[in-house]
Amino acid sequence: MGAAEDQTCVAKVLSGDSSTFEGIVRRWQGPLVNLAYRFCRDRGRAEELAQEAFLRAYRSLDRWRREAAFSTWLFALATNLYCSELRRIPVRTVPLDDVAEPRDLRGADRGLENEDRDRLVRRAAFALPPKYREALILFYFHDMDIPSTARSLGLPQGTVKARLSRGREMLRSKLSQRLVSLQLTKEA
Amino acid sequence: MRDDDLDRILYNEQVIVPSSGFVVAVMDAVRRESLAPSPIPFPWKRALPGLFAAGVALVSIFVAGIAMFIQGTTSQLFMSQLQSLFAPIFERCNTLGAGWITFALIVSIASAKLSMHLATRKTRIVDKANAR
Repeated sequence: MGAAEDQTCVAKVLSGDSSTFEGIVRRWQGPLVNLAYRFCRDRGRAEELAQEAFLRAYRSLDRWRREAAFSTWLFALATNLYCSELRRIPVRTVPLDDVAEPRDLRGADRGLENEDRDRLVRRAAFALPPKYREALILFYFHDMDIPSTARSLGLPQGTVKARLSRGREMLRSKLSQRLVSLQLTKEA
Repeated sequence: MRDDDLDRILYNEQVIVPSSGFVVAVMDAVRRESLAPSPIPFPWKRALPGLFAAGVALVSIFVAGIAMFIQGTTSQLFMSQLQSLFAPIFERCNTLGAGWITFALIVSIASAKLSMHLATRKTRIVDKANAR
């Protein structure tokens, strides 16, 4: 199903055939649930958030202006909902300074080492302040495309670039100490 | 750590598959939504003249206050002028029972807000139960 079919589905739903909305749900359930999962790291809550996003989209389908792609509108709506819901009822995040050290990797193979490092990076990114975390989540979700990220967040591209840069900087400074200590442990 | 490493790690996120009942749960919620009676729209056409009059009154009071300050009136004079300005308004409000009307409006808004809040919470609980 492409953009044209999204448009057809929306037209049918707006003319009163609500069952057509199922096509939209089937097409976009994966992206919306995965986006929510990146925001909350909880599968159950991700589905609840995605369901609420679909319901909200259904209620406000008539507000979708055709000049933007349906997906752009849907992602912006979902992002707005996820951010506000997670600010209302936050996910328990571990503060950046409390992110666990990777385990001692002496004797472990390279794969395990990389796996631990990746996990550490993701946990540290998740512990960033919301505005940097949201920018980073959407940037990688949108295949590192800044215009799409900006559209989803409803922010100017310059602001998104600044938040990405600051977020990365915070991540690097926090991670460098830990990764150096990991390297030293490995060499000892 | 280089930007490339960060990009690689954060880009390669775990992908999850929605549960098999997800679409059904969403469509159930959508069906309930479509069967529910549409909300009564706010009567803007009827409310607009009143809102406009209230806006004009507020702005004129504000402007009058500022003008009096600029003219350098003493506070006593200002108060007496303010009293003379508001006296006929208060008198008119008393004869119309504006206090009771305001009280009734506040009670109506509070009860409407409370019932909407309770209804929304109930819908959310039902949706969550269905999703599970």
